[in-house]
Amino acid sequence: MDKIYLENVSYIYGEGTPFEQTALDGVSIGIRAGCITGIIGHTGSGKSTMMQLLNGLAAPTSGKVLLDGYDVNTTFEDVFDAWKSLPEYQNLSKSAAKKAIRTEIRRRRKELCFRVGLVMQYPEYQLFEETVYRDIAFGPQNMGLSEEEIRARVLEAAAFTGVDTDWLEKSPFDLSGGQKRRVALAGVIAMRPEVLVLDEPAAGLDPRGRDYIFDGIKRYQRETGSTVLIVSHSMEDMARYSDDVIVMANAKVLMHGPCEEVFSRIRELSDIGLDIPQITRVMTMLKEQGFPVSEEIYTVDAAVEELYRLLVKGKGGNAT
Amino acid sequence: MSNSYIHAEGLCFSYRDNDGKEEHPALKGVSVDIYEGEYVAVLGHNGSGKSTFAKLLNMILEPTGGTLVVGGMELTGKELTDDELLQLRRNVGMVFQNPDNQLVATIVEEDVAFGPENLGVPQPELRKRVEDAIAAVGMTSYAHHEPHRLSGGQKQRIAIAGIIAMMPKCIIFDESTAMLDPNGRKEVLDTIRLLNRDYGITVINITHYMNEAAEADRIIVMNDGLVLMEGTPDEVFAKREELVAVGLEVPQCAALIHELRRRGVLLEGTGISTPEACVELLQRALKART
Repeated sequence: MDKIYLENVSYIYGEGTPFEQTALDGVSIGIRAGCITGIIGHTGSGKSTMMQLLNGLAAPTSGKVLLDGYDVNTTFEDVFDAWKSLPEYQNLSKSAAKKAIRTEIRRRRKELCFRVGLVMQYPEYQLFEETVYRDIAFGPQNMGLSEEEIRARVLEAAAFTGVDTDWLEKSPFDLSGGQKRRVALAGVIAMRPEVLVLDEPAAGLDPRGRDYIFDGIKRYQRETGSTVLIVSHSMEDMARYSDDVIVMANAKVLMHGPCEEVFSRIRELSDIGLDIPQITRVMTMLKEQGFPVSEEIYTVDAAVEELYRLLVKGKGGNAT
Repeated sequence: MSNSYIHAEGLCFSYRDNDGKEEHPALKGVSVDIYEGEYVAVLGHNGSGKSTFAKLLNMILEPTGGTLVVGGMELTGKELTDDELLQLRRNVGMVFQNPDNQLVATIVEEDVAFGPENLGVPQPELRKRVEDAIAAVGMTSYAHHEPHRLSGGQKQRIAIAGIIAMMPKCIIFDESTAMLDPNGRKEVLDTIRLLNRDYGITVINITHYMNEAAEADRIIVMNDGLVLMEGTPDEVFAKREELVAVGLEVPQCAALIHELRRRGVLLEGTGISTPEACVELLQRALKART
């Protein structure tokens, strides 16, 4: 079952102005529930625009974004159609009915923000509270939860993301960049979103900081069964962490499928100028020199197996 | 080896709390030499002291102990005069992480002229310097563009041009590619290599990317305010366990060689840092088999 479905979605920036630019061009795509989906593509390929559509931060110029089969952009007509046959609605005066519908639209929008959690690029710049605890609690507080429930959510989110309990009473501004990033991620996870969308979550972090973030995301996804979307430039990271991969190019979806399937078309990916994993370059070069190795290799482990087979086991004739 | 451009001995620096009471040592006695015309990468996890070290080199921060000599100028043990400080900053330029924080003017060439103009460089030399600097980073056709409309990589190249126009001896890149996409990163790295090779500028590149560090002549690895190791990329990336222990890693191609060797495969050679070197090494072994 698709958790999210984009139905013929287009998004145009500055429509009707000289700067008009199509960011998404008739995209139709389903995103599997309970999986990590990586979205890769060049800057300007439409991947960041796509993620902003998922929780209604931006509305598509045309087409629909469906979450569990329902359009995320509730319109007046949507609510009216759903309500018009209800006696409670029919009893309302015209102005009261309008007001009720507007309130309902606002309620649904707010709910959507809790269901689809968005972690922007460099989210640590969005920390603002006096203590780490209060910053993580901000989301749950806005959901109107009780103090106990908020506390439980904060501690749970902190555990997922590797936020040390010692930090909770500290100012977030006394933490290092990598630590702040984890606090910001915890702030979104504390809302327990069904869908977690992240834009370049590891940008600018050192290797350890990057592993903390990705391991935290993976843990959250596994234990809660949520659907996760990660926008990234790094095919190396996506090869390690995602189940499915979407490749965007020129405002369209170029490829979509399980990680192995997409990365097996590595030559095409390289042709559109994506930064293919270094290990794949090594294998491609060996292949070009006439050695019987597979080029469809994008992790170090797979390359080790392939070369071990050639160098130790066989005389290299049994490449499949 | 040629002349040492930067000479640090027992270099220390401590940050102070806002109330000035507590001290947090960031550098605990760094001794290192960086030579004229060298391309050095500095690796280390967040908080290892690598950025602090960089900020001491042109006195954005003042050392709290030890000796530091830059370009023959003794920086420690005395008050620097304004003239000395100016000369130092002209010689040692710095490019920071965020491309949006470093541009001041509304037109590319005005931005590049900002530094030399403030140094009092007269016309027509100023114009020539600006043109040359913009050409050096490959942005000539953008000289009259607005910087804020450029891509991240292009903005960083403009920031670099602004420093080149001051004719520095040494440029420090403090995670200057961290916020860029793969294309932008490549643009900046190509520029760095060109400045080092063709202009003889001493380059210090502080980075989190192992692949980037592999391009340098030499790597200095920092941990906990000290130099943990230094050597050529091949020498440094041969010490995989030590690097992993301090939160770093080796490039994928080096990891491949390490793993094959761990499993008992005999691979002769030391070139493990770049795909090209690694392919050469594997090729020899594969040929020997067949």
